[in-house]
Amino acid sequence: MAAATAQSKTPFRLGKWFRSRKGQQAIVIIAFSIIPLALLFVFTYYPFAEMFKFSFYDRNYTKVRSFVGLKNYIDVFKRDDCFRALWLSLYYMGGAVVQLALALYLATIFCFGVKGGNFFKGCMFFPYLINGIAIGFIFKFFYTRGFVFDTVLQWIGFDLENLPYWLKDTRINNISLVGTSVWKYFGQNMVLFVGAMMSVDASLYEAAELDGANKWQQFKYIMLPSIKTIVMLNLIMSITGSLSAFEPPYVIMSGGGNGTATYFIKMHEIAHISQKVGLASAMAIVLLMIIFAATILQKLFFKYVFKNAEDEDKGAAARRDRKLAKGKGAARV
Amino acid sequence: MKFRKTMALGMAAVMAMSLTACGGESDGSASSSNNASSNNNAAASGSTDNGNTAADNTTPEAAGVPTYASIKLGEDYTDLTASIKFMHHKTDREGDGTMDRLIAEFNKVYPNIQVEAEGITDYAETALLRLPTGDWGDIMFIPAIDMVDLPEYFLPYGTVEEMSGLINFADQWKFEGNCYGIGYMGNAQGLLYNKKVFADAGITELPKTPDAFIAALQQIKDNTDAIPLYTNYAAGWTMGGQWDAMLGAITTGDEAWLNQKFTHTAEPFKDNGDGTGAYALYKILYDAVANGLTEDDYTTTDWEGCKGMINRGEIGTMVLGSWAIAQMKEAGENADDIGYMPFPISIGGKQYATAGPDYCYGINAKASDDNKAAAMVFVKWMVEESGWCDLEGGYPISKTAETSFVFDGVNIVENISALDDEADLMNQMNADSELNFNNGGDAKVMAIVEKAAAGTPFDDIMAEWTEKWNAAQSNLGVDVLY
Repeated sequence: MAAATAQSKTPFRLGKWFRSRKGQQAIVIIAFSIIPLALLFVFTYYPFAEMFKFSFYDRNYTKVRSFVGLKNYIDVFKRDDCFRALWLSLYYMGGAVVQLALALYLATIFCFGVKGGNFFKGCMFFPYLINGIAIGFIFKFFYTRGFVFDTVLQWIGFDLENLPYWLKDTRINNISLVGTSVWKYFGQNMVLFVGAMMSVDASLYEAAELDGANKWQQFKYIMLPSIKTIVMLNLIMSITGSLSAFEPPYVIMSGGGNGTATYFIKMHEIAHISQKVGLASAMAIVLLMIIFAATILQKLFFKYVFKNAEDEDKGAAARRDRKLAKGKGAARV
Repeated sequence: MKFRKTMALGMAAVMAMSLTACGGESDGSASSSNNASSNNNAAASGSTDNGNTAADNTTPEAAGVPTYASIKLGEDYTDLTASIKFMHHKTDREGDGTMDRLIAEFNKVYPNIQVEAEGITDYAETALLRLPTGDWGDIMFIPAIDMVDLPEYFLPYGTVEEMSGLINFADQWKFEGNCYGIGYMGNAQGLLYNKKVFADAGITELPKTPDAFIAALQQIKDNTDAIPLYTNYAAGWTMGGQWDAMLGAITTGDEAWLNQKFTHTAEPFKDNGDGTGAYALYKILYDAVANGLTEDDYTTTDWEGCKGMINRGEIGTMVLGSWAIAQMKEAGENADDIGYMPFPISIGGKQYATAGPDYCYGINAKASDDNKAAAMVFVKWMVEESGWCDLEGGYPISKTAETSFVFDGVNIVENISALDDEADLMNQMNADSELNFNNGGDAKVMAIVEKAAAGTPFDDIMAEWTEKWNAAQSNLGVDVLY
């Protein structure tokens, strides 16, 4: 009898659950998330999984030749051109640091108020809006011997004879290329910083000023800690971008000639010209790991840096405590 | 949470990576034109002699249509009234009025034949799509089709034997001994030069060997202000595409070398010691750069700019196919200064040049007899009288028409295509060795320039190539025969 009721109740229960608040909630959640999740899976994770699979095969786009296990990965580490290309990223990372420092500096200036600030902000943000290929062509002419850059330098007194070949000289051509990417991206970083700085409560600055803090101290103890999330974000983006630099060398140096072939360019060459899809996939996975590692290292680094900035100086705290203790003692006496 | 963030960032990076990777593969226009001709070759070699598939093997005479050879221009068919349509890919000639001018000239002799020319961008695909419909007009440039399908779509001009006496490359589109296509111009591989610069430098005889060529470049440097050899390094495709094109018969005198022997050669890049072979070819580039006989800053060469520069006499030579002649001539006022010479490599005292036709005229087999006759007359007039081929700076098609293309004492040859069972071998070797000859391998030729500027010995570069080539041979199990 009891068993029978339980059995007859089961389907009833399910229907009821669907109509219940909890059931409705679940249905809505599933219904809303199924499409983005499906898109995410189909266009991101599935291709990624396929690429991961490719990395274990010797294959081109149309034909799988054989399963080679870890050989592609070993090749990535053994080939001298792959990792030499990765060293070039250091130039771009150096550029990223310069770029962020410049952006932070300008953003701070703008934040403390400048005449025609919006105009200048617009000018500096403008390069970010230009297509990367167009920037490539601009800078190709910019760096051409005797063209824009050389002419400007000659105006301020340099002699053309003493100027280097900006793109030909392999000692400096990567720096020239990094220059273009700094030019393009610092404006964007700056605008992000300005946005974050604007959201800091102005009364904090006032209070700090009343307490006798100068601009530098205001920047260090109020502004920087308040925008540290944005700084972090920009830094992670810039470092990741440095590891995957592609446009400047590809466009300006006609596909990464003259020792400017970054990791991405090498990957493009191997994947699309030589059609070693397996090896290129392995390179992509290795790069992914490197980006993971870089991101985690940055996180740890910032945890350390901002801990100090957030907490007040330990010595100062101790002194204050001592003073307070003395004061109390004196009052008691 | 943090891990998920990093994960998401990583994914974003991977996505960005795959996006940028897709944006590549932007070869120059020249390589696409090269592809067109090599497709033709591929189609040519793919013909299987299936004797029984001929749809209607009617000879032109039987259908009341004259053969190409039997027409006397200016005498026959001058009173023929017809309206024909000509489908072509030269939209630039449509745009600058050349096509209209040619047709107007034609109508002076044949006033009653109306010719409507239709220039099509994206010709290769469009032509293939419209071909089977049958009503595309009366004359088209034959797209990449199989030889066996020729009789179904096109009217033969005559036998190949007969046509060979009148035109070059009569066997480009042949089936069962009949010739179905006549090129509108030919392409040859050689070297573009400025005649005035050569004269000013005191070069009286065109150099025939690498040593003589380098000496000539030195003369240009010493005696004129021109850049002796403009590498066009920055354009990319001008490096791999143009230098690799010389490999084969030009460098070895052996028509089978490039597509049949190269893959089986143990040391294709060794120094033959007599200024021949791949070694000598790339050594020319190396020596020119190492001796300062090229432009000051190779990284900022400008493809569009170089056309005007060679026209004005600021450049001595450039390594480009003959298709470039017209562009250089039109880039300025000194069209007559632009010359084309055979590549300065001699094998046993003999220079070689590879040549082949560009797109070929084909006449619609389904047109009416009057239209066929009119089309035949028009094609013959275009080839023999119009001077179009010469205007484009092409290698001559007609054996009798006037031409400014002089390749004296040069053997015109064609690289024989690969054996059927090895059709894909070259691609595989290219991929495995990552040298990519004639296949977008610009980086390796650009590296020659870079290394020459940096002072790396040339033999080191060749040794590296040989090593890669041999590794690919052993990876793919290729027999080393030569």
